[in-house]
Amino acid sequence: MSALLRVRNLTKIYGEPGERTLEQTGPEWNSNICPETDSIVACAGVSFDLYPGEVLGIVGESGSGKSTVVKLLYFDMEKTAGSAWLRPYNDGRTNMLEASGQQKRYIRNHLMGTVYQNPRDGLNFSFSSGGNIAEKLIMAGSLHVGSIRERASFLLEKTEVPVRRMDDTPASFSGGMQQRVQIAKAIANNPPLLFLDEVTTGLDVSVQAKVLDLIRELQQELGIAMIVVSHDLSVIRMLTDRTLVMKHGRVVESGLTDQILQDPQHAYTQLLVSSLL
Amino acid sequence: MIENKKYKNSYNFAFIDESTKKEVRRKLLKAVAIPGYQVPYSSPEMPISRGWGTGGLHVTLAIIGREDIFKIIDQGSDASVNACNLREFVQAMTGCKTTYDTTEATLIQTRHRITEEELREDQIFVFQVPMPEPLRSVERYEYRTRQMHGEADYAKMWVSLYESFVRHGGIMRGADYPVKVNGRYIMAPSPIPRWDIPNLNQSKTLYLFGAGREKRLYAVPPYTTVEPLEFEDVRFTIEKFDNLCYKTGYRRAFLDELYLDDGSRHFVINDSNFLDKIEQGGEIKPFINPYIQQIEL
Amino acid sequence: MNIVEVNQLSKTFELHILHDKMIPALHDIEFDIAEGEIIGLTGKSGSGKSSLMKCLYRTYLATGGEILYYSRGGVVDLVKASDHEIIALRRSEVRYCSQFLSVIPRVSAIDVVAEPLARTEKNRDLARSKAKDLLEALGLPTALWDAFPVTFSGGEQQRINVARAIIARPRLLLIDEPTASLDQRTKDVVIGLIRDLKQEGTSVLCISHDEYTLERLADRRLHLQSGRITHAITESI
Repeated sequence: MSALLRVRNLTKIYGEPGERTLEQTGPEWNSNICPETDSIVACAGVSFDLYPGEVLGIVGESGSGKSTVVKLLYFDMEKTAGSAWLRPYNDGRTNMLEASGQQKRYIRNHLMGTVYQNPRDGLNFSFSSGGNIAEKLIMAGSLHVGSIRERASFLLEKTEVPVRRMDDTPASFSGGMQQRVQIAKAIANNPPLLFLDEVTTGLDVSVQAKVLDLIRELQQELGIAMIVVSHDLSVIRMLTDRTLVMKHGRVVESGLTDQILQDPQHAYTQLLVSSLL
Repeated sequence: MIENKKYKNSYNFAFIDESTKKEVRRKLLKAVAIPGYQVPYSSPEMPISRGWGTGGLHVTLAIIGREDIFKIIDQGSDASVNACNLREFVQAMTGCKTTYDTTEATLIQTRHRITEEELREDQIFVFQVPMPEPLRSVERYEYRTRQMHGEADYAKMWVSLYESFVRHGGIMRGADYPVKVNGRYIMAPSPIPRWDIPNLNQSKTLYLFGAGREKRLYAVPPYTTVEPLEFEDVRFTIEKFDNLCYKTGYRRAFLDELYLDDGSRHFVINDSNFLDKIEQGGEIKPFINPYIQQIEL
Repeated sequence: MNIVEVNQLSKTFELHILHDKMIPALHDIEFDIAEGEIIGLTGKSGSGKSSLMKCLYRTYLATGGEILYYSRGGVVDLVKASDHEIIALRRSEVRYCSQFLSVIPRVSAIDVVAEPLARTEKNRDLARSKAKDLLEALGLPTALWDAFPVTFSGGEQQRINVARAIIARPRLLLIDEPTASLDQRTKDVVIGLIRDLKQEGTSVLCISHDEYTLERLADRRLHLQSGRITHAITESI
């Protein structure tokens, strides 16, 4: 079986880097900022493979670059360097980070789903919750109102959002329910890959638990590959098979999640794990 | 005193100077080459305020020739105040013959209606457009709507139609119904009623659209496919009057609702020239489209 | 035919947050597990039994040596294998039952047990029905089946742990103290289930300090002392 997603040398630098910028930043320097040029290395040299049905966690503190990595992969940002090949896109032969705007949109609609930390980034609050899901379905070519509504109610049921609220806008929903609508929208077109960017950060603990349970259940049922970004190791523990640990824009350790948690190798990972409440 | 006739007129023919006319014509050519695509243009100053038809006027004045016979209607009427004012202006600036008769005219400018009588290949039809951007209701940023058009990313438009259906049981737009031109661009046909939308499709005449305030031109060349946006199970429909014109008994035209002084309610044909022709027993050549054909005579 | 060959395995923990303190756990471990063999792993607490098992399951990264595992698809060195290969093996062939139930919150006992089978068979209902059979055999009260295991007693949790490890018959079962908190009757049930697995060809590495269990299960024993194998005893049953 070959990898679903291959990422090599993903790099994002703000400002004008110099020749030695990459050498002079990173975890050993405790800094993302290049001392010579003041450019900021948000992430550099990130490489990994993701296989179908696997859940990869990316953990790190603020400034680690974890969110940058996924933002680059779902085209919210332009890369400075690096490649990513997605197997369902052109058989994994084209670097999707260099695809045209239209192709990127095709990949985003059909092959990826994204759930953001802030529901306002992932949902349109002037449309109904069903309408938000309809947007994804319409982008994939469905133009039949009846079947759109059927599929939307099916997805809302799956994410435990009351179907009778399908025609209400998410503005009237609680935070947890807004997240669940986002999840319903993200899986609308059965994408093989799902990005979850700090999706439970800021939610109440009981609400967080419900959302995480839902994600885990969906992952088991649908077998979607996921990339879960979190600063919270307990979220990582609950959801992921493998984990990347990032610090100041670089990956300092990668391995099976239980190994990272029980036998961390890198000093920073050991620090993180020992800081688990 | 020797009179110099060459400079007798204070204005250039058709008011606009030749360089500006050239620019407008170039933009119109581009618009015709890309059906439904909004082309930005200079939108020069006119002695009329923005919002009163400057766009349509720009197009008319850029393309009108000495031999043209000019007609102008406002909501179907040749005799409304604005139509009269603009007609007098164009006549004064060009010396062209003007007419009320749709079949006689070679160049017709309109505000918010297409004529009931079918237009021909040798005619040009110019629309006055208030809001050229069909996506404005779902996206307020211009740079994003341009991107959406460029990438044919019209999902938001479709969702707003879906939302309309969900909230009101149908797609409620009465006028300015969004259409897809030549299978590519979504266009705002100006606030013509739904009744007129099918007459844009595969028409013999050249349609030109001018939005002066927004500084955009666009076009639908002859024999171009223009389809209203509809879902597979929620279809486009035209207005249903279930009534006839009280003056002529004619059913297959867009009707206005009237209240006479005695309080009685009647319907009458909106297109004033069409009404006149039927009343006088003249020959009429109305548009034929599948939607109109479903109405009984 | 061997299913596992461990050569010169060693493990030392390096704790950077304690000023790079080195804690040795395993030295020069060498042994084999044959197909269908049950090996009992004995030793005092702290002798390295759990560490050895975790190295096999790759929860611990071995510092040196190799662990050759003869999977269906060929030989794999579990020490050097990629994460992806290990995940695939864990889902299909190798199962680990730790001493303590790693509690997945808010999942019912039935679903905790059924999950490994539901994944491989892709049939949730079938998996749940098999899970019910197992829990019944293990004497877990029906009332608890839909409850969350986090509130269960040690013995109840251990039964769920065992059931989850054996429901999708693994080729290699790593099991840590399977009978520790169980009463006599349940002990016998667990022992019986493991022997059934052996009949079907599963190889087992079993940590236990319970002589009763070892007598009935182990074909061979390995004794660990301070991270080294001191002697191996062959038992015939």
